[in-house]
Amino acid sequence: MNDSLDDWFAREILVHEGALVSFLHRAWPDRAEIHDLRQEAYVRVYEAARKCRPTTPRAFLFTTARHLITDRLRRGRVVSIEPVGDLDALNVLIDEVSPERRLDAHQTLHRLAAAFDRLPPRCREVMWLRRVEELPQKEVAARLGISEKTVEKQVAKGVRLMAGYFYGNGQVRRATRPGVPETEDGTGHGQQHPD
Amino acid sequence: MEQDMASSIRIERAAAAWLARRDAGGWATRDQAELDQWLDASTAHRVAWLRLQAAWHESGRLKALGAGLPAGQVPAPGRWATPSQQEHSADPPVRMAKPWPIHGTSSGAVRRSALDPAALVFAPRKREPEPRLPRRLAAVATVAVVGISLAVGWRVHSPTVQPVAYGTAVGTLETAALADGSEATLSSDSRIVVALSRRERHIDLERGEAFFHAAKDPKRPFVVAAGGHQAIAVGTRFAVRRDADGMRVVVTEGLVRLESDPGVDGRPQPTTLLPAGSVALAGPHGVVVQSGTVDEARQALSWRDGFLAFRDTSLAAAAAEFNRYNARKIVIADPSVGALRIGGSFRWSNAEAFVRLLEQGFPVRAEYGDRAIVLHDR
Repeated sequence: MNDSLDDWFAREILVHEGALVSFLHRAWPDRAEIHDLRQEAYVRVYEAARKCRPTTPRAFLFTTARHLITDRLRRGRVVSIEPVGDLDALNVLIDEVSPERRLDAHQTLHRLAAAFDRLPPRCREVMWLRRVEELPQKEVAARLGISEKTVEKQVAKGVRLMAGYFYGNGQVRRATRPGVPETEDGTGHGQQHPD
Repeated sequence: MEQDMASSIRIERAAAAWLARRDAGGWATRDQAELDQWLDASTAHRVAWLRLQAAWHESGRLKALGAGLPAGQVPAPGRWATPSQQEHSADPPVRMAKPWPIHGTSSGAVRRSALDPAALVFAPRKREPEPRLPRRLAAVATVAVVGISLAVGWRVHSPTVQPVAYGTAVGTLETAALADGSEATLSSDSRIVVALSRRERHIDLERGEAFFHAAKDPKRPFVVAAGGHQAIAVGTRFAVRRDADGMRVVVTEGLVRLESDPGVDGRPQPTTLLPAGSVALAGPHGVVVQSGTVDEARQALSWRDGFLAFRDTSLAAAAAEFNRYNARKIVIADPSVGALRIGGSFRWSNAEAFVRLLEQGFPVRAEYGDRAIVLHDR
C-alpha cells in the first residue's frame, strides 16, 4: 500500500500547484501545453518519491519542472523561443514562490469558499447539496429535478473545477521580490534525476 | 474537441468521471478493480486521480460553512466572505470642540474634578477627515465646560428610575430595544441592567458582552459601566465586553470616551477617546488601544452574525471565546496545544466543526464528550 505516499503527494506537492503553474507560464511559451507539463512534473515527482522521498519537496518539484523544460527543449519540441533562453533565470523564478504556502484552517476554508463560489450555478448547487448537506447523488437529483446522470456529470465537473481553483488559481502568483535568495536549495535533489 | 485536447486534460476528465461514478453509489468490487486497473496503467492517471481526490476531500471542509444554515438552501456566492456589512459609518465623528455633557453619578463627579489636561489621552485617529482643534484648546474647553456643569449641576439629583435587566442564556443572542430608542444586542450569557434617567442613560454590564447602537441624545450621555470602567457615548455604535479583570470596548461608529475609576493608589486614570475603528482593553494597569479600520473593528464583533473571528490568537483564548457561547466546553489538556496560534472566522454555534478543522490543520487530537471536547497534543 502506498497510501502514505499518496498523502505525502497531496500534502507536500499539490499545495504548490499555483506557484508551479505560474512558474511554467513564465518558462514555457505555449500556454496550451502547461496542463501537460504540470502533469508531467507531477508524474516525475511521484515516481521519484516512490523510490526515495525528497526532503525538500517544494524545491524538488521546481527542480523537476526545470529539468522537464530543459529536456523538452533538447528534444527540440520547441525551437528557440526567447522566454526559455536563460535557464539560469529559472532559478530566480523559484525564489518568487512563497515559502508560506501552508494554509491555516481559516485560509483553507476561505480558499475553498472562494473556489466554490466560482463554480457555475448548477454545478455549485449540486456540490453544495452533495458536499455540504451530504445528500447522496440520488437525492440531489430528486431535489433538483434532474437525472442522476446529470448529477454525476456535475460532480465530475465540480471536482475538476474545484481542484483547479483550489490548488491552482488565485494564489500568490506574483510576489514582486525577485532576487530574494531561496533558502532551501534544490540542487542536491536535482541530481536525482527523476526518470 | 476530444482529439485537440491535451492528453493530460483527457486524463483529468477521466479521473473526474471515475470519482463521480464512485460517489454515485452502488460501487462494487468490480468497479474498484476496474479503477485500480486504470490507475495502475499509468502514473499520469494516478497523479490526476490523487489530485482530484485530494480536492474532493478538501471540499468536504465546506461543511463548516453550512453549519447553522437552513437545509436545502444554497446560499448566494460571497455570503461568507464578509460576515458583517450592514453598518455604514455615515455619521461624522463627534468633534472635540463640542465637549461632552456631564453625567450625574457621584463617582463620575469626583473623577471629573480631578481631570487635568495632561491626563487626556487621544487614541490615534486613522480616519479623521476634519481638522482638529489644537489639542490644548480642546482640552481647555473640556475642562471649562466641566467646571460650569459641576457648578450648575452639583446638587441636582437625577430622579430615581426603575432599572430594567436584560439577559441571555448560553448560546443565544438577543437584541433589546431600549426606551430611549437605542438598541442593545446581547451576546451569549450576558446581562445588562439599564437605568434611563433624565440626565443619563446608564447601563451596567454585569456579564458578557453587548453591542450598543445608542440613539443620539446629547443631553443624556449613554454610559456603559463594567468593573470600574465606563464607556461613554452620545450617539454611536460600539460594543462593550466584560472580562475577568477589565473591559473591552470596540467602536464601529462615532466616538466613545473611556474612563476608569481611580487606580489602587487613588490616582485618577487618564481619559481615553476612542474613534471608530478602535479596540480598547481597559485593565487594572491602564488602557491599551488598537487603532485600525472600522472593518477591522467589526471583525471583533462578528459574533453578532454568528461568527468568531481570530487573528493570530492563541488557541487557549479562542477556546475561551467559544466557551462563552457553548455549554459543551472546549478543554485544553496540554499547554502546548493552548499555545498554538490560529486565525480565521468560525461559527460559534459549531465548536465541533472548529475542532475538526483544528484536527486537520494542527497537531491536535480531540476527544469528543457530551459535556466537553478535550484537546490533546498529538
